Amino acid sequence: MNDQDVSARFGGLLALGLLLLGLLPGAMPQAEAAIQGRLGTDNADCLRCHRMETLGYRDPRSGDLIDLHIDGRQFGHSAHGELQCIDCHEGDFGRYPHPESVLGQRLDCVGCHQELYKADKRPYTFKTIEQEFALSIHAVSDSPKAEGFDCHRCHDPHGFRNSEVGQPIAEIVRADNQLCLSCHEKIRDPHSAAHLWLPKRDKHWQSVRCLDCHTPLTDPGRPVSHQILAAKDSNFDCVSCHSKEARLLGRLYQYRSETDLAGGGWLSKAVFNEAYVVGMSRSPLLDALGLGVIGLTLLVLIAHGWGRYRAYRRLKEDRS
Amino acid sequence: MSALYLYPRWLRVWHWINALLFLVLMYTGASMHFGEGGWLMPFDLAVTVHNTAGILLTLGWIGFAIGNLTTENGRHYRIHLSGFVDRLIVQGRYYAQGIFRNEPHPFHVSAGMKFNTLQQLSYLGVMFGLMPLLILSGWAFLFSVSLPETLLGLPSVWLVAMAHLTLAYLLVLFLLVHMYIITTGETVTTNLRAMITGWHREDEPSSGQTEEAKS
Repeated sequence: MNDQDVSARFGGLLALGLLLLGLLPGAMPQAEAAIQGRLGTDNADCLRCHRMETLGYRDPRSGDLIDLHIDGRQFGHSAHGELQCIDCHEGDFGRYPHPESVLGQRLDCVGCHQELYKADKRPYTFKTIEQEFALSIHAVSDSPKAEGFDCHRCHDPHGFRNSEVGQPIAEIVRADNQLCLSCHEKIRDPHSAAHLWLPKRDKHWQSVRCLDCHTPLTDPGRPVSHQILAAKDSNFDCVSCHSKEARLLGRLYQYRSETDLAGGGWLSKAVFNEAYVVGMSRSPLLDALGLGVIGLTLLVLIAHGWGRYRAYRRLKEDRS
Repeated sequence: MSALYLYPRWLRVWHWINALLFLVLMYTGASMHFGEGGWLMPFDLAVTVHNTAGILLTLGWIGFAIGNLTTENGRHYRIHLSGFVDRLIVQGRYYAQGIFRNEPHPFHVSAGMKFNTLQQLSYLGVMFGLMPLLILSGWAFLFSVSLPETLLGLPSVWLVAMAHLTLAYLLVLFLLVHMYIITTGETVTTNLRAMITGWHREDEPSSGQTEEAKS
């Protein structure tokens, strides 16, 4: 939904509400009291209001529309789906209007996730994520658009869920890339010059995550870094994926292979295995050697055949 | 005219299916390796066809191995060490020189041995060396998640990829030489016809059994 839609629907709802309130003297205190009386602290209570698609307000300082709508179904499927709203949104939300003191909280993912059980024993700790993000273009850019960039810009806490082994690759790629494209929407503009250098651009976009090229190469077995690179620093070298000993290749191939093998029987997955990346078996040396030796052998065989033919002609002449 | 029944039906069926799979694997393998374009097959299709043909090749090889273990055909792959090197030199010399001088074949096909020493050595190397390795590397490709991260200090996927590529080039080389060498029988098509009909026919009577060799 774009800003205009939200604005129009929100405006309409607001006008209707004001009209009703104006027509019904004394209704306001009663309605507020009813809400207050029924407000509890479980998710259903919060979603009674926040599931409304038009719920939002205009920030008086920035003038931006702040969308307060939560998709209950999406939230239920998200990584946080089993949490209670108040696990993160601490404070006196049991009252409406919510008190000024609890509004505008900036929730910090790392702070919470670091307290999780054995968080420091994870192979990829939130401390590392924080350090990587600190070097990310999203953190160091001077662009006003990157101001205040935090985890939530990409990982919507009410909807985000990590991709899982077994999901179709195309679906994972599409979902991952959509995170980037929700802000970098001009990338897919047909007139955009970005990625024009990339051979088979659309094929790459269908098969490869933006992150696969726009993050530094990581060691085998480690997840993709949170250090998002600026366009100029990103991976332009085809050989990094499509060639020998490429760590990026190992990452992509293993990931795709694991995904391929998780979803069905081994035979069907062997047949429909999508993990192979064009050129992953490419080696300029082996190709030159292999094709060279085959070419030379072909010449030798042709010469040998010619020699035999001449011997055969001699034999026929001798006999005649 | 002598005739020896040297290629039983199961062997001929296996051979021609194997030959077809070889061609399919070469074409689809090249399409995957070099990427689509020109005369190559579309990449997505090439992957599926290559995987399928690879699985069929595996089944075919298992059938071939069992066939040679359980029938008399296996005897043609047993190396007789006595005079082995001499036979190898004589055969090599014939291909390098004698064949151009219209010298008689140093080897005569018999019911006991249908391959000359060079053929025997190359078929042994291909069928019991290169082919199993190629098949194993192909399966390792498909199930590489089960491999360790590194092998011999190198990334295992890369190692598997390079092994598969090298073996594929060697087998393409074999196919070329094989297709040429079969024309060096008594006539250009003697060996080809034998693999189609099962009967090896020569004008000169060969030592050993003749028509009655059919069993």
